[in-house]
Amino acid sequence: MRKSFQSATKTIRNLMTRKGVVFSVFFLGALSFLAIFADLLGFDYLTQNLIASLQPPSAEYWFGTDELGRDILSRVVYGTRTSLVTSAGAVTIAALLGVPIGLIAGFFGGWRDAVLMRVVDVMLALPAILFAMALIAILGKGQMAAMIAVGITGTPSFARITRAQVLSLRNRDFVTAVEAFGGSATYAMFRTILPNSWSPIVVQAIVLASVAILLEAALSFLGMGVAPPTPSWGEMLRTGKSYLYEAPYYAVLPGIILTLTILSFDTIGRAMTDLLEGRHDLGDHTSKDAEPTK
Amino acid sequence: MISYLIRRILQLVPVLLVASIAIWAMLYAVPGGPVAMIVGQDASQEQIDAATRELGLDRPLVVQYGDWVANAVTGDLGKSIFSKEPVVKLIGQRLPATIQLAVFSLLIALVIGIPIAIISALNPGTWIDRVLSSWSALALAVPTFWLGILLVLLFAVELRWLPSASRYVPFWSAPLDAMRNTFLPALTLGVYVSGILARFLRASLVGELRADYVRTARSKGLPERQIVGGHIMRNALIPFVTIVGLMLANFLGGSVVTEVVFTYPGLGRLLVQAISTRDYPLIQGIILVIIVIFMLINLAVDMLYAYIDPRIEHS
Repeated sequence: MRKSFQSATKTIRNLMTRKGVVFSVFFLGALSFLAIFADLLGFDYLTQNLIASLQPPSAEYWFGTDELGRDILSRVVYGTRTSLVTSAGAVTIAALLGVPIGLIAGFFGGWRDAVLMRVVDVMLALPAILFAMALIAILGKGQMAAMIAVGITGTPSFARITRAQVLSLRNRDFVTAVEAFGGSATYAMFRTILPNSWSPIVVQAIVLASVAILLEAALSFLGMGVAPPTPSWGEMLRTGKSYLYEAPYYAVLPGIILTLTILSFDTIGRAMTDLLEGRHDLGDHTSKDAEPTK
Repeated sequence: MISYLIRRILQLVPVLLVASIAIWAMLYAVPGGPVAMIVGQDASQEQIDAATRELGLDRPLVVQYGDWVANAVTGDLGKSIFSKEPVVKLIGQRLPATIQLAVFSLLIALVIGIPIAIISALNPGTWIDRVLSSWSALALAVPTFWLGILLVLLFAVELRWLPSASRYVPFWSAPLDAMRNTFLPALTLGVYVSGILARFLRASLVGELRADYVRTARSKGLPERQIVGGHIMRNALIPFVTIVGLMLANFLGGSVVTEVVFTYPGLGRLLVQAISTRDYPLIQGIILVIIVIFMLINLAVDMLYAYIDPRIEHS
């Protein structure tokens, strides 16, 4: 326990030597703080003021107002809640489905591996956004549906990573020992192999968080995610697009926050991947997880 | 080559089987199932029974699936609930627009991505490499729909050079008008893809630069231009072909959001409309077509790959 704590602090210290990571952590921290304490800080995303609709940014309304005279900054802050909660839920769903699939496929091999990986291949064969849309066609629109759809699209990546991890550990002495002492397959998978596979799974969760935020925003932008009046970044961009001539800032400012959030998760995720693969300061910004997501 | 081709086609069969079952089963996963889809949620029992018989839903599931596949293979994907037109016809109308957008975007992505990759690979670790690598990171992080909005703001709202909504004009009928209408959506998609291309090509170039044959070429005094152009690029292009192929397939997905931003009449926007109107035969048809195209592109890429590098065929 003590040892793992030490290695965790070492990892964090290592990560914090990178400027990009420091900025990302600070940005996400500030954003989360605003989102959590939005009520206490006096953000109001619902009050309409039709006389002051589509106002440009001012001292009173830092990000301006929307078509109903609501404060855009407040809606961005509350949109953070929607975005972070949906993507956290989606990543959890993806991990809960993907990790066991990867464990079973990698541990047993044979037909179970063949069937599961074939299904994973098919899931990867469709671009994530199309797959999520197909699922929403079945589940109906809404925040819950978006969370499940994004979660299911993220499942294959967890399955792949876990399976690779299992395959590398499967024939190690400590796993063979558990089996030789009569440990069940379940015990070997969940109590022996899984605890030794956490690092890549956690890194994958962070990488996937940026993908999930992007997908959620894209679905809301297409009108398939969170329903109004609940604020969401994608929905704000969707509405803002209708007022490009009258209020250009409307679709610009929420987009900046969305992009910075995605970039922050991506930066932290890639720095962790580098660390995991032992690439410290090679100046190599190339990561294998740069798969197309849009 | 022929045996490799046959082997690769056989490998596609199980994938296609799983995909087609999933798409077919979609109808049955919808609340109320396929009957409710036809007669509506509050139909009488007689209407439901009649529709069940008419649609052949009282037959065994295997027979229903077989029937659906047989129809799909012969080009019958059913009729759209909303417009009553054959699904195949609707898809056929929109597909050329999406293909034109994909080709334009790919060209833009190559024009931006290749120079970035070469310059940053030749200067690894320098400030120019860092700047260009940031381009890739930024191109991948900026959501395509937001980038699209920014481009509209700049080119249509501010400068008034290009239209904010893009029509589909076939390139061969009016090349200039086609370019005017396709440029902004193609740039939006192309920038995103250039990020991926640059990242992959840079990695593969950096790998090749360290290879022994490069040292040999240098030691015999070949000019750097010839080493990069004649030796390295040739080898680095092998994985690159795969990425370009995958990208081309991915345009089908990425174009959904872009087409909506620019109200461009492609396949992606048709899918969004089909989902909003819950037009299930149309949804199924579009997804099936996209998966098949995706697989065919993958197959073509594999063949090209085996042609460039004959070692693959025998592995």
